[in-house]
Amino acid sequence: MDSALIGQSLVSGLGIGCVYGLIGIGFCVIYNASGIVNFAQGAFVMLGGMITHVLLVRGQLPYFAAIVLSVLVVALLGVVIERLVVRPLWKRNAPMFVMILATLAAQIVIERLTFLAVDDQPKTLPVFTDLPPIMVGGVAVNIQSLWIVAGSLAIVGLLALFFKGTRTGKAMRACAINREAAALQGIPVHGMLALAFGLSAGLGAIAGIMLTPTQYTAFNVGVPFAISGFIAAIIGGFGRPFGAFLGGLTLGVVQSVAILSFGAGLKTVVALSVLLLFLFVRPSGILGAAK
Amino acid sequence: MTAFPSPILEARNLSARYGQVQALAPIDFQVGAGELVAVLGPNGAGKSTLLRAILGLVTNAGEVAFMGAALPRRNPVAVASRGVVLVPEGRGIFGPMTVMENLELGAYRLKGREERQRRFDRVFELFPRLKERLGQAGGSMSGGEQQMLAIGRALMADPKILLLDEPSLGLAPRVTDEILETLGVLNRSGLPVVLVEQRAPQALKLAHRAYLLSLGRLVAVIDPREVQSHDQLAQYYFA
Repeated sequence: MDSALIGQSLVSGLGIGCVYGLIGIGFCVIYNASGIVNFAQGAFVMLGGMITHVLLVRGQLPYFAAIVLSVLVVALLGVVIERLVVRPLWKRNAPMFVMILATLAAQIVIERLTFLAVDDQPKTLPVFTDLPPIMVGGVAVNIQSLWIVAGSLAIVGLLALFFKGTRTGKAMRACAINREAAALQGIPVHGMLALAFGLSAGLGAIAGIMLTPTQYTAFNVGVPFAISGFIAAIIGGFGRPFGAFLGGLTLGVVQSVAILSFGAGLKTVVALSVLLLFLFVRPSGILGAAK
Repeated sequence: MTAFPSPILEARNLSARYGQVQALAPIDFQVGAGELVAVLGPNGAGKSTLLRAILGLVTNAGEVAFMGAALPRRNPVAVASRGVVLVPEGRGIFGPMTVMENLELGAYRLKGREERQRRFDRVFELFPRLKERLGQAGGSMSGGEQQMLAIGRALMADPKILLLDEPSLGLAPRVTDEILETLGVLNRSGLPVVLVEQRAPQALKLAHRAYLLSLGRLVAVIDPREVQSHDQLAQYYFA
């Protein structure tokens, strides 16, 4: 096989892998704060691209302003979902599968409302920087992919600083380790849960916004992204944000090489096969599960 | 009942249940200003449940007042914010986090840098070993050091009353003595303490009063000065 083609495939895989990684981090942040697997995570990815498109095209806002506003709106929606869907069940000590089903229901509601509010046609966004691809040893690296990789690495770095270096970040980690002990120190555990949802939703939105210029967004793209992000989180070691990012990169590269070898039709089969392989061989993931 | 100073913490008809099971029958419980009150009894007596009911960590009924004002009944965060701080059974330290981070989280609500430093100094004065281990993960320390960290973290919150659930659990006698001695120092400095403890003789040496529980009921309120021997204590236990 042509080495340039393989290189091209790897570059493409790293780009999409970064997005899976960010979605996976979103899963981990909420899981750590609450023990909940939030399947509405895909909706945040879809909404990031969709709201930016609406603000840009219908609202005629400058691109950067549309992006910032979109991330804020989706983060706020994450907090609203926490307050309206998750917290009432959490307070009643609802079984975990009930809460997971509730987040899945929220995903479907958001998806249908988006369909009604916009339409069923795919939407895209302009690339961030309109420049020709850079050629590296016969491999064409498009600038949007660089934005995705650089943006994702910056976000992972900022998250590490947040969790390690800020009072609120440390409090969120404490809630993840022992929620009751955190409450006994006066740490507002409910507030931390809302913050986790807002943060995860914002991350999902950023992932969606970075990816949409290279692909498209539509009301129904959320679930496939949620599944890929979930697989990334499991591969990395569930509950470990940095592991989820590594898991996303692994999944993205493997998927991309598989598409090159077997065609795009087997993309999902390969993703699920990678998941099964990890579950059989190393169920705790690359870094080991957090809980 | 033994006379006590004006109550700082007062529970009336406080009961608790886990699901359908009543774990604590209605009990009146008081802690006076500056007192160290021990809560004694065998396993399953309801000692830990009493503390958890005061903090609002279990379903409970009755009233709890602290410094004359009612405590929220199902909001441990708000209770902690009022200065009622519990060192839970099993210590509840944040194992993967460093000693420094654990202590910082104890003072989560505090913003002033000088006051924070003052609290650090106080904790390090009581537990110099913590100062030597600031960068170490809390969960990698010995049981005794973890207990020191748990108490140190509670002190970082500048509690108005300190509640401890079995601080000697799993510790060697020498370490237990060290921990209990420190609690005595804290109490003599004016901090009211509620000490749930299975090692009754050691607890009684420190306590001004002791509540004896059995099978979720209050059996006796003991004046430690009246307990002259182990036999007499055993009589209380098996009465």
